[in-house]
Amino acid sequence: MTPPRGEVLQGTLDLIVLKTLDTIGPLHGYGIAQRIQQVSEDLLKLNQGTLYPALLRLEQRGWISSKWGVSDNNRKAKYYSLTRSGRKQLTSEAESWERMAAMIARLLGAEGI
Amino acid sequence: MDSLRVLGSRLLGFFRRRHVDENLDAELRAHLELLADENIRRGMKPEEARFAARREFGGVEQIKEAHRDQRGLPILDTLLQDVKFTLRGLRLRVGFTTVAILTLALGVGATTAVFSVVDRILFRSLPYPEDQRLVSFGVMAPFDSREFMLGPDFVEWRPRQQPFESITALEPGSVDCDLTEQNPSRLSCGQVDAAFLPTLRVRLILGRNFTREEDLPNGPRAVLLSYGFWRSRFAGDPRIVGKNLSLDGKSTFIAGVLPAGFEMPTLARADLLVPLAMGESTDRGPDARQRIVRTFARLKPGLTATTAAAMLQPLFEESLNHVPVQFRKEVALRVRSLRDRQVGDARQASWILLGAVFAVLLVACTNVANLILARASARQRELAVRAALGATRARLVRQALTENLVLGVLGGSAGCLVAYLLLRWFVSIAPGSIPYLQQASLDHRVVLFTFGISLLSGMSFGLASAFRRAAAELLTGKESRATSRSLLRQSLVTAQIAASLILLAGAGLLLRSFWKLEAVPLGMNTGSILTAEIDLADYRYPQPAQQLEFFRELQSRLVRIPGVSALALSDTLPPSGGMQATFLSAIEVEGQPKFAEGTGGMIGYRYITPEYFSALGIPVAHGRVFLDQDLRATENPVILSEALARRLFGDSNPIGNAFRYGRQNLWRTIVGVVGDVKNDGLAAAGGPEFYLPWKAESEGYYRRATFILRTPMNPEGIAKWVRSEAASIDPTVPVTIEAMSQRIEKLADRPRFNAILLSLFAGMGVMLAAIGIYGVVGFLVAQQTREIGVRMALGASPQNILKMVLSTVTRWTIGGAILGILGAWFCTRLLESLLFEVKTHDPLLLGGAVVLLLAAAFLAAWIPARRAMRVDPMVALRYE
Repeated sequence: MTPPRGEVLQGTLDLIVLKTLDTIGPLHGYGIAQRIQQVSEDLLKLNQGTLYPALLRLEQRGWISSKWGVSDNNRKAKYYSLTRSGRKQLTSEAESWERMAAMIARLLGAEGI
Repeated sequence: MDSLRVLGSRLLGFFRRRHVDENLDAELRAHLELLADENIRRGMKPEEARFAARREFGGVEQIKEAHRDQRGLPILDTLLQDVKFTLRGLRLRVGFTTVAILTLALGVGATTAVFSVVDRILFRSLPYPEDQRLVSFGVMAPFDSREFMLGPDFVEWRPRQQPFESITALEPGSVDCDLTEQNPSRLSCGQVDAAFLPTLRVRLILGRNFTREEDLPNGPRAVLLSYGFWRSRFAGDPRIVGKNLSLDGKSTFIAGVLPAGFEMPTLARADLLVPLAMGESTDRGPDARQRIVRTFARLKPGLTATTAAAMLQPLFEESLNHVPVQFRKEVALRVRSLRDRQVGDARQASWILLGAVFAVLLVACTNVANLILARASARQRELAVRAALGATRARLVRQALTENLVLGVLGGSAGCLVAYLLLRWFVSIAPGSIPYLQQASLDHRVVLFTFGISLLSGMSFGLASAFRRAAAELLTGKESRATSRSLLRQSLVTAQIAASLILLAGAGLLLRSFWKLEAVPLGMNTGSILTAEIDLADYRYPQPAQQLEFFRELQSRLVRIPGVSALALSDTLPPSGGMQATFLSAIEVEGQPKFAEGTGGMIGYRYITPEYFSALGIPVAHGRVFLDQDLRATENPVILSEALARRLFGDSNPIGNAFRYGRQNLWRTIVGVVGDVKNDGLAAAGGPEFYLPWKAESEGYYRRATFILRTPMNPEGIAKWVRSEAASIDPTVPVTIEAMSQRIEKLADRPRFNAILLSLFAGMGVMLAAIGIYGVVGFLVAQQTREIGVRMALGASPQNILKMVLSTVTRWTIGGAILGILGAWFCTRLLESLLFEVKTHDPLLLGGAVVLLLAAAFLAAWIPARRAMRVDPMVALRYE
């Protein structure tokens, strides 16, 4: 597996995808990539292809499910949506992320003093 | 849970590969198109837009690859790929594949088959709980090769012995008994005491053990059924327990049913068990019936047979007081494990066969290793190419592993087939005296064991070559590293030759010993003689007079058969043993002091009719044979064998002397002396014996007798005649008809079996070694083609080249032969007890083995060496 190039931390991509699907609802791979780039204001340089192994991984764990559908401009595309266990996972992962971020912030702040 | 789910999804992905692949393709295509659409919307030209989309997306193939790794089971994927590749490779090199698989099959097959035979003898536990605590104990005396006890001694020892939890006694061998109800049949009954089942810890599946009352003399009659008899006779009906059956004409209570795997500790056949009913009598008086019993015991935990023997010593010495003084030196106490008693002398032969077959396996494994090494060298270039194309070291190792695994599985499977066939053949040629052989079967442990060995042998060498760095410079074809590993290969060949030589030497010894045994002079003429053994049932012929009457009647009928030139009757037949016997010290000659130092050994005797000596062609040395009038009650003649005459009278003439034996007061007149015959097997020296006339004698035993018919006619026709004559007197009497030559052949069964097996293994060893030499020389020639070309271009003659190739072979072979001679010198000593009139160190035989092996080695080297001779220098120089 080729690791996502530098900018996206391993593991964070999963969280980002889950959050995106949670916010927007069912979306195809292209849509997810666009959304991530849009939200991160192009700060996250995502190699769009790397999204697919991540999507497969999430699907294997049962956090998202997929279904073929038709896109806005009439192209056949596979739509991913969050499952119930995916939503649970998102909550718990978001929490732990926040705890982690808070801790690191405290750590950095303490060092600043 | 999560990981299980992932695994499930991966498995699904693995099996629905194509479907998932198509799905992914479509998804990625859609993504690229959407991306391109977007780019067009931004104002790019369509072509440019697609190009930009691809750039933004990243490598489509890499993503697919990553996706596949994530989705399926990559290990299984590559494994399948490796297996496919291996099979293709094996198909391409038919020669290599055939030789490797055949070699493995022979090695694995022979080892498995032999292991199956000796497994029960050497390793498998006996079918009793905690069998290692079971022992056989008793006294050893000259007239029996196995330990036994006298009834009174057993009764006295039972409450006083210390080392055993419990002890049990049974009648030696099985006794014939007759089922006397509808569909009567002759059965084997084991007579055991009430402690028998508890001592062995055998649990009945139905009913109960004998009670104390049933185990007393003249107690209530009871019987235990063997599982097989219960199934065949009563169709496994559980309600039969508690009913009665008619045994030997008497109604007998069915007490219980034995479990399916039950066997007697003596290994005798037993359809039924009946009480020993020995009672508590310790009477040793002259009129007491002292029974001889086989005795077994369960040791208390923590004791060994040796300590038990030491603890029994005081009891033994007490019993010794009842033995006549002059015999005491010849009686000894013996305690040994039940396995030792059952296996007896089969143990050593088993170890030797096992050792021999391991030698074959060693040669086979070496061969496979050699082949794989040779092939690995030949494939170095292929490996280098693959490494250059990006295969990782791990991948190459995995490939090598897979190849050897496939080879091992193929060879192992073929080996199982070979083992199955070999085992069936062994069982068909094996003598009945090898314990358990009829039950030998391939068992999964044995198969797994040899499978493992076959895998391991290939694997270790295959891996060794795979771990070597595949150097890219090999691609230039300028360097040949063939020689670097030739030392290893040569030592492998040397080991093969040494092992084969040891096998050959051993097989040669056994074969020679067997031939000598076949040619041993028997002291009689056994050609064109038919024997008919007849066994009368006790309940139909309870009186000796009735038994004699039956045989007289049959004799008078058989005499009338045309084509029978001589007809005689005897209770036992040489050269098989089984005759009645007395001590030399129990024989008395009028006017001479009795032999008084110990027992003097056993002297056999038989009851015969006057024609016995002429029918068997036994020469008369002095005096005369019996005459018809000797059969009258008033005459008491006896005939001695030459050996006995020498023992009793030295060089003086015994004719006319008076002779008596045992407790009989009857004096007999010696009327003749006849030639010695082998009367106790083929290997033992013929023992002294004497002959008594076939007539009503007080100690005579006439229930079983053998007719001896000398006839030049077709034996089968005569056999039919004999049977019909016997049946016309009494149709229930069983008649066993055998040619004398068959009887004698049976005696040599065991040595023949050993000799055949060891010869087979030696043959396999030599053949495998020859294949090994052929392979290695062929490979060396192929590797040295360029060198040979250069030499020939520089003026070497084909003879020089031949000499060069053969000289390398000579070095290994001579080395192997020297090692082999040393090995054979030590190993053949182990055969000593199996040999008959052959010395273990026979230089002629060893020399013959060396010559045979060298011849095979050179023949195997000759074929590839000739190829070297015909190398065309021009072609050779362009080669590679």
